[in-house]
Amino acid sequence: MDGFLEYVPGNSFLHRLNPVTKIAFAIMFAIACFCTGNLVFLCLMLALGLALAASCSMMRQTLGLMRAVLAFSLVLAVLLLLTTPKGDLLVELPWGYIGSDSILAAVVTVIRLEAAAIPLFLTFYVTKMTDLSNSFVKVLHVPYRYAFTFASTVHFIPVFMNDMRGIMEAQTARGVEFDQGGMVRKIRLMVPLCVPLLISSVRKTNSSAIAAEVRGFNLRTRESGYKRYPMTGADWAVIALGVVVLAAAIALSLL
Amino acid sequence: MIEIEDLTFQYRESDAPVIEDMSLSIPSGAFAGIIGAAGSGKSTLTYALNGIVPHCYPGDFYGSVRIDGNDTCDTTLTDLSQMVGSVCQDIDSQFVSAVVEDEMLYGLENYGVPHDQIEGRVQEALEAMGIADLRQRLIASLSGGQKQKVAIASILAMRPSVLVLDEPTAELDPASSRNVFALLSHYAEAHGTTVVVVEQKIALLSEFTDLLVVVEAGRIRFAGAPEEVLAHSEELLEIGVNCPRCTTLMNRLAAGGLYAGPVCTDVPSACRALCEVAA
Ligand SMILES: Nc1ncnc2c1ncn2[C@@H]1O[C@H](COP(=O)(O)OP(=O)(O)O)[C@@H](O)[C@H]1O
Ligand SMILES: [Mg+2]
Repeated sequence: MDGFLEYVPGNSFLHRLNPVTKIAFAIMFAIACFCTGNLVFLCLMLALGLALAASCSMMRQTLGLMRAVLAFSLVLAVLLLLTTPKGDLLVELPWGYIGSDSILAAVVTVIRLEAAAIPLFLTFYVTKMTDLSNSFVKVLHVPYRYAFTFASTVHFIPVFMNDMRGIMEAQTARGVEFDQGGMVRKIRLMVPLCVPLLISSVRKTNSSAIAAEVRGFNLRTRESGYKRYPMTGADWAVIALGVVVLAAAIALSLL
Repeated sequence: MIEIEDLTFQYRESDAPVIEDMSLSIPSGAFAGIIGAAGSGKSTLTYALNGIVPHCYPGDFYGSVRIDGNDTCDTTLTDLSQMVGSVCQDIDSQFVSAVVEDEMLYGLENYGVPHDQIEGRVQEALEAMGIADLRQRLIASLSGGQKQKVAIASILAMRPSVLVLDEPTAELDPASSRNVFALLSHYAEAHGTTVVVVEQKIALLSEFTDLLVVVEAGRIRFAGAPEEVLAHSEELLEIGVNCPRCTTLMNRLAAGGLYAGPVCTDVPSACRALCEVAA
């Protein structure tokens, strides 16, 4: 999981887009996925997402993400399968049946979650957190305080995961067997570790807040930022594409 | 010029003062080193210098700390930070950016340095720390020594008149530690910057500092030129500060009446002195 949600340097088309564009497109893309249950459309969206990932050579990270989303969405899919008795009867269940439409609904759920997640995650891999928060301040006039809080939260995710791994390794070295037994046992072993993790996290966020303050955090305004984030023609084109995709999804759902 | 007068400080959570009755004056342009056992209050002393105490950590604060005549209690932390640059002990929590260049810009942007001066300042600070080639690198991909230099450079770019560093070489090997000190002292000399550094490696302190402060349980035990302070090698050992071995050796010879010269703080001078004694 190393490098999870961490910026990967590069100079691809996606890297060079305005961070605001990337977020806006990713959000419109995700909403579009949830607007319609049209399987063909969702498959096209998934293909588009993968094409985007390929365009910035982020396939390895994307496949890792897809595997994680798959595990999660399969659970949902199975639930749907067992609880939505629709379409032609395929399998009898004591409380209903699995129908052909149940299978369709399950497949749609998996594809939809996979497709919706890709652009959102890609955004973090091709955008520096500082650029994301600075551009939100410059372009969208978001107060710096909020942008910074958001940026720090994301910045700390890999730090926390690293700490967690460190603690688990230390416990494993002392004979705690995390890889044995079921989910419940695993969770029971993890809970006591959360306390030291929480304490060290609070301490870290506290000292980084102080470090930011002694570097003039309180003086920062929209004018402070040195870098400019102009919206270029490419940015507007990508936003237009997002709008088209969203409109298509809404149109499909109304048909 | 830093003046500490009868400073006593106790954190709200602790049941005894962490700093007791300290008085110390550090002249402008000095390179001062602070040494002492773990928990003796060195970090807290640096907080008192950069204003984090009392502005961020509440507690009982008696006495005064003045930086160029400004009382730290009456000056806002934001104003103080323009005079006193701080490199904290845990540099990973100091970094706000993923890339070196953005880290360098942060303080400059906040303090409203005119945009046409920013490029020059960034380049100068990077060169002062010898890391101009790391400008576009991801901070996460750097070695410990490189990270430390980035942390220092990002503060130097703000051109503070006082620079406070808390154990900057704790995680570095001896060669990179010495390199960091050499770069720092070169920069400080060129810019007239006052440097206060907490450091456990006594050999580095005796080589680079002109004022050595030994802290024991919140009090100043010794303060003076390294040669003066290191003359007390036996007492220093008792409070957990190991002198360089050559210093201890020559002090023992002096105590035994076999050597009467000045205190030796490094191997070459001890060598020369030994040759004289032998002859
Ligand atoms: N933020 C804090 N709140 C409460 N107590 C603290 C805090 N920081 C340090 N202390 C206490 O103050 C004492 C001195 O700590 P510190 O100044 O960090 O020493 P040193 O840097 O010499 O190891 C320790 O006993 C420590 O527990
Ligand atoms: Mg300390």
